[in-house]
Amino acid sequence: MVTHTIEELHELFKSGELDVKEYYKELFEEAKKQQERLNAFVTITEEEAYKAIEAPMTDDLLSHIPYVLKDNYNTKGIKTTASSKMLADYVPVYNAHVVDLLNKHGVGLVGKASMDELAMGGTNKSALTGPVHNPWDTRRISGGSSGGSAALVASGLIPFALGSDTGDSIRKPAGFCGIVGFKPTWGRISRYGVIPYASSLDHVGAFTRNVRDMAIVTEALAGRDNRDMTSSNKEVPHYLENLTTDISNLKIGVLTTVSNEVRNEEVKKTFEHVVETLKSLGATVEDVEMDKKLMKTLLPTYTIIANSEATSNHSCLDGIKYGDRQQGDTPDDVMINSRTDGFGDHIKRRFILGNLALATENQEKMFRKAQRVRRLVVDELNKIYENYDIIIAPNGGGVAPLIDEAAEDYLSDEYIILENWLCLANFAGTPSISIPSGFVDNMPVAVNISGRIFEEQTVLNVAYALEEALGFKNQYKRED
Amino acid sequence: MDYERVIGLEVHCELKTNSKMFSASPVTFGEDPNTMINEVDMGMTGTLPCLNKRGVEFAIRVCHALHMEIDELLCFDRKNYYYSDLPKGFQITQDKRPIGRNGYLMIEVDGEEKRIDIERLHMEEDTAKQLHLTDYSLIDYNRAGIPLIEIVTKPCIRSGKEASAYLEALRQVFLYTEVSDAKLEEGSMRCDVNVSIRPFGQEAFGTRTEIKNLNSISNVQKAIDYEAGRQQEVIESGGEVLQETRRYDEVEKVTTVMRSKGDAVDYKYYTEPNILPIRLDHAWVEQIKNELPMMAGEREKHYEEEYGIPKVDAKILVSTKSMSDYFNEVIKYTKNYKNASNWLLGDVLAFLNKNNQSYDDIELNPEYLAKLINFIEDGTISSKQAKKVFEPMMTENKDPEKIIEEKGMKQISDPNALKTMANEVLDANPQSIEDYANGKDRAVGFLVGQVMKKSRGQANPGMVNKLLVELLKERIK
Repeated sequence: MVTHTIEELHELFKSGELDVKEYYKELFEEAKKQQERLNAFVTITEEEAYKAIEAPMTDDLLSHIPYVLKDNYNTKGIKTTASSKMLADYVPVYNAHVVDLLNKHGVGLVGKASMDELAMGGTNKSALTGPVHNPWDTRRISGGSSGGSAALVASGLIPFALGSDTGDSIRKPAGFCGIVGFKPTWGRISRYGVIPYASSLDHVGAFTRNVRDMAIVTEALAGRDNRDMTSSNKEVPHYLENLTTDISNLKIGVLTTVSNEVRNEEVKKTFEHVVETLKSLGATVEDVEMDKKLMKTLLPTYTIIANSEATSNHSCLDGIKYGDRQQGDTPDDVMINSRTDGFGDHIKRRFILGNLALATENQEKMFRKAQRVRRLVVDELNKIYENYDIIIAPNGGGVAPLIDEAAEDYLSDEYIILENWLCLANFAGTPSISIPSGFVDNMPVAVNISGRIFEEQTVLNVAYALEEALGFKNQYKRED
Repeated sequence: MDYERVIGLEVHCELKTNSKMFSASPVTFGEDPNTMINEVDMGMTGTLPCLNKRGVEFAIRVCHALHMEIDELLCFDRKNYYYSDLPKGFQITQDKRPIGRNGYLMIEVDGEEKRIDIERLHMEEDTAKQLHLTDYSLIDYNRAGIPLIEIVTKPCIRSGKEASAYLEALRQVFLYTEVSDAKLEEGSMRCDVNVSIRPFGQEAFGTRTEIKNLNSISNVQKAIDYEAGRQQEVIESGGEVLQETRRYDEVEKVTTVMRSKGDAVDYKYYTEPNILPIRLDHAWVEQIKNELPMMAGEREKHYEEEYGIPKVDAKILVSTKSMSDYFNEVIKYTKNYKNASNWLLGDVLAFLNKNNQSYDDIELNPEYLAKLINFIEDGTISSKQAKKVFEPMMTENKDPEKIIEEKGMKQISDPNALKTMANEVLDANPQSIEDYANGKDRAVGFLVGQVMKKSRGQANPGMVNKLLVELLKERIK
């Protein structure tokens, strides 16, 4: 199977050089192979894809383009598990808004991808179907929580996949898998129908192997949805059409509070190279700082807000209406038994923490305090955006950990800022993209580029220029 | 010792919007179970709330009618608890910032006016309806998500009678603002009661109990009376009133314990993250106020003071908005307010009752009724004739003027025509003139009869009488 970008595939399908049906046949054979290697699918949706490509091909760039959804996107008639036992047999009665949108573009759904249970985690080890393997080294994690989507795009099977990002759940696995991961502004894309984690931090976003493809996909997803009151009425720009490598008029801040934490010399070098490249492209590049004390609060603040919202968001999973129902003598027993059986231990721990933080006697000193700290962090960040269009920093401190070594909820004092800083963009709802910046020990590493809210175009342009200059694009790894 | 009763009411009212508070499925009553629902009502994971603007408008209407301060910022919170009738595992409500604060409603008890202070009004969504059977339960989600408003009074009610008057008045507000059909029996209006007692003169409140499951206004009054009596007995026998939730048993007419304070759930209220605060457009809020009809209490006063309608009648006229609205229409065409009121409460109401109808169903053009009233007033027809016009006018919604014409009922009130007839009768009855001259006034009656006979009953008897007296006086001069 040959791997292509969205634009290439479109041309090949349109010219007839590639027979769509034949291509999908090959693709599904490959999908099964990759499933053996990566364990990245929860469900392969062959039937649905063949049905979708029966419709005539159109001039739409996404027409007949194969893709994968993270398994927390509700798909009508197709099992949607969020990689949780609670939803192991759940077949939704409705489509997420973005699924409807993509269907209108004529895409072909190849499958539903594995994730950390209910999107809570950063390793993809908590998935009901087991860990997902990194295509570049299958002993390593793909990252999470959108690990299945990331691994499948990085295997070259499909040109794009959707993920969701509450703390870094798109951008971290994108970095570990050597591809592009983008979450636009909170409110730019409807969240309707995406099984939530923490509503105020949740973002819809995508994985691709190059920035042009990302512009295409983002344009298709963005826009107001009346079923999501937090989605914006702002007009959606033509991201692809407006894409430019000319970034000479931009002011870029290098967030040294993060980059100075890097210990790995190779990672440091690749990042320094990124900074030099941006300068050579004519951008004004300067060091910027954030209060270190505030940056150290990111993780605890995130933990409290995310788990508090999560415990409430997942209260609907009670076994009464759908999901894993365990019997009991009273309706209360049914709910208790179902929730006891349906959730993994790490989920229960998070729910307990969330409930603790929301309890009336604690709420002021935990949940509300965390919300106030979030405000302080966002204010501090926005001060930087008063002077800089873009903030960059390394995506993390190193390459994807080995599956056996990666802790489910890892907390390292040494890396408390470096490994957790990406949630800044979730706190502030700002557009944030991670793109490959090189290789360390034959594993991909990445840089993160973030901008002001609703300035997706600026973020995409910097990513585009950098991608062109660095040359790490369209990379994938299919076989060892 | 004498005890004072301290009562506060929490009233829930279902709003009759077209669609639910946070979803697009329809608001209905009595449809087949689980047919009026979508994924939002079912609490399907991934769904998001979308606020119903009409629901907000209805809440604002009631806020205005209760003279409340309206919050310029619309904020929603989550009330978190697990219950099998609660699809999302939380209810979207307004905790910290209710849309309305500090209002009041005037009530009347035993001829005295009293102001009931209202602490807050907030918006929320209804739960599903449960039916618990012996070894299983059924859930109907049709009700899940129907808009609710909750109105909480201050603890300023002092008797079951006041509570019942307040509920009646509040029900009128719901009906007059047209936000709900407010039926306690059907659950579209629900009431929880907080009751405590304290010795007269004591400022501190006693321990209160909350009573639930009250499905009629009379039960509210009965429950309060029972519960206050029970508390008094407890205190007088040296016991202590416990803070608890009690249920009213309609059959036994007693309250029984549902749960004690120790079992209280921590609802962990926090801001609903999927609905960002909404700034209300001041002009819109004002427009809603300006479009609000006059409430029952004000109308009653207005009818009494401006139109001279007896208090008893005014009260009945405003008992339903449709009757009061109809009255307002009728009096656009006649200044004979009292007669209009009499017709509405008398013959018209009797006619509607006979046909199992109410003023909601009335077809009669209000102008026609006013015309009929005016025809009687100006003597075009007699009251007796009017009764004959009324029936066809009501059944056919027909202009009384036409009926009178067709039936040839019109009284002859033309003075010249009457004079001719009167003179003819006088000429033919010289004996009567003589009798009249001799002081026998009875003769006039006979002569009027003769004129009526001559006119085949159409002469205006009043005018004929007056005319004959004049002519007789002339003739005997």
